[in-house]
Amino acid sequence: MTNLAGVPYYVLEFGDELVYFTPYTITLFLLALTFTLFVLISRPERQVDIAFGGDAYTTKVISVSEMRFRRFMAIACGLASMGAMVTGDIFNFTLFTAMVGITNVGIVAAVKSPHVQNAAYQYGLVALSATVPLFAGAAIYAAATGSLSMIELATGLLPAVPFVAKAFLVLGVIGEGMAPFYAAKAEMFRAPGAPYVIMCSLSSLLIFLRVIEVVMLG
Amino acid sequence: MWGQYSYGLLVVLVAGVIAFFALAIETDDLHRFLLLDLVEITALGVIALLGTDLAEALILPGLTVGIAEQLALSQIYLTKERILQNPVKGLNIEVIAKADAPLIISMFLVVYGLLLSGFTGGGVAGLGLVFFFMSRGYREDLNLLEMASGISWALWIFAFFCFMFLPQFWFIALMCAAVGIVLKVTVKMSLVGTMWGNGND
Repeated sequence: MTNLAGVPYYVLEFGDELVYFTPYTITLFLLALTFTLFVLISRPERQVDIAFGGDAYTTKVISVSEMRFRRFMAIACGLASMGAMVTGDIFNFTLFTAMVGITNVGIVAAVKSPHVQNAAYQYGLVALSATVPLFAGAAIYAAATGSLSMIELATGLLPAVPFVAKAFLVLGVIGEGMAPFYAAKAEMFRAPGAPYVIMCSLSSLLIFLRVIEVVMLG
Repeated sequence: MWGQYSYGLLVVLVAGVIAFFALAIETDDLHRFLLLDLVEITALGVIALLGTDLAEALILPGLTVGIAEQLALSQIYLTKERILQNPVKGLNIEVIAKADAPLIISMFLVVYGLLLSGFTGGGVAGLGLVFFFMSRGYREDLNLLEMASGISWALWIFAFFCFMFLPQFWFIALMCAAVGIVLKVTVKMSLVGTMWGNGND
């Protein structure tokens, strides 16, 4: 239990399903929780366009329906990130990660600008294809060790996890979190509305930090 | 056992590589979207190779997440290509709309689905209703269907709590879960059937 990013403070068991808090995961969980609360109470930033050659500027108008949808998606993204931080089950982790991918697409897809729509669509294609290595990794975990519980994997009594399973898991998280695809991500960030768009970045950062812990088990 | 699994894994991964290759050389957005459906199936194949009841329990959420992503992406595609305004018509085939055959076939499917119960039964019964609604161009107030769906979902969740906290009443919980899921899936699929056409917005 020592290589589990610290000794768990608390383990909540539901049969096979379990949730645990270690010093590492509780930090990430609190970060996600804080930011979700910020999203809940803050108002969207209005993007400013400056006309060059003068001091004229315009702010973009964000409709209430668009704001509501994006706020909902950002909160859902925060909840999915929180779930991914505290779950102690490999398959649940992959499901939460896939949900972070969907909600990230949703946060930007409400914007009606063609550039943003196109970028969100391309991002969605990558996120959808990333579910293949993600779920395949989790399935190989179960096939090789016979368990999906991170607590059991951390005891070291189970057979070693094959390298390919870990590689698949990381590849899937890269696809959902879009780390190496910053070109598409920058295009997405042309969408106005500050707190919601930052949720995309924060959630991908969090699932990356968590997957590092996950692949170090077993 | 391990040998068989490895061969199966090899076959599925080769299929995955072929699907990803097709995805990489395709440039049309709609075709890439359709190919993704094929790619998704290889993920389910890897899970299915586990060959235990755990695999069945894992395929269901995997499939649901995949379908949710595809629904979201298809909506983005419609908005992106600005084809939301085009009205969609149901199956306006005169013979199907007038004949008794859709009624008989869908009644058979619904009864058979109710006998099967559970997720599969819900799928079969829902398919019967979808076929019926699509062939008749049926218009209905969707609120009632949505309420039935919600109540059956609550029944299903209640059954889960019963399994967790009162395991001695497992039989009642099993029945509640079976009835809840059959209603839920049936209603969900019949909602899909009535979503054709443009009168429901």
